[in-house]
Amino acid sequence: MKINIRKWTSYLALATIVLYIITGYGITQHRFMEKITFGLLTKSLSFKIHSWLIIPLLLFLLLHLYYSCSLFKRLKRWKR
Amino acid sequence: MRKINLFFIIFLFLVSGCASQDIKELQEVEISEYEGERLGSIADFRENSIKGPQYIDIDDYNLKVTGLVENPVDYTYEEVLEKERYKKVVKIDCVEGWSVNILWEGVLARELIEKAKPLPETNTIIFYAYDGYSTSFPIEYIMGNDIIMAYKMNGVVIPPERGFPFQLVAESKWGYKWIKWITKIELSDNEDYEGYWESRGYSNAGDLDKGFFK
Repeated sequence: MKINIRKWTSYLALATIVLYIITGYGITQHRFMEKITFGLLTKSLSFKIHSWLIIPLLLFLLLHLYYSCSLFKRLKRWKR
Repeated sequence: MRKINLFFIIFLFLVSGCASQDIKELQEVEISEYEGERLGSIADFRENSIKGPQYIDIDDYNLKVTGLVENPVDYTYEEVLEKERYKKVVKIDCVEGWSVNILWEGVLARELIEKAKPLPETNTIIFYAYDGYSTSFPIEYIMGNDIIMAYKMNGVVIPPERGFPFQLVAESKWGYKWIKWITKIELSDNEDYEGYWESRGYSNAGDLDKGFFK
């Protein structure tokens, strides 16, 4: 089975971005976020996840950028 | 004779006019600079309290100093204001990443506690707020430093949204130690007491030069 790395890095980048935004709200809007998650996403948990996410987020974004650029180059060559 | 009467009437009219010109005090205005130092604004704060702003009726308000003391004290708002006043510019740093430089005016927490005569076994001072929030400090921090319990910020009375009647100016501590809407000060021998955020993973010391997680 062939794994499409470009596709997977983009999915992972999207998932980390969404999680990053949610945990960001978990910090600044903690009362609301705690309520809608039934107390699961507390402010301190949001803080922890938010600070841990920064490295995976950067990594997936860079990989996503790299594979998108290489695909773009290949497409350019193919068009010629 | 008529001329004198006329002058007398005019004189009375002028005097009565002057007497009725009382100076009316307008609402206090927030200052933006103090002794050459730029200040932030009350509007720069983000609302991040545990239950939203608290509106305290000052007529029913009492500040209690209880726990390990010889003489528990109940202060009214006016009695606290009668104490010697102190002013200082201190920056509050929130764990969320924002900070505000404010001119705080208030009384020393130490002076309020001294009247209650703390017992020798006291090692911790716990502050309680109207909304159920609490936080604690080692006794040396409060009694050994000039820690202000502020009732004014930038020259205006602290608004309810910002902690009226009193907010603790916990210098060199993270913002979650700056308790607002203070109602009670308890002296305790429980060094391990954990306040609201401290029992949810934040550091008990809350020192600004260290991380805020345990």
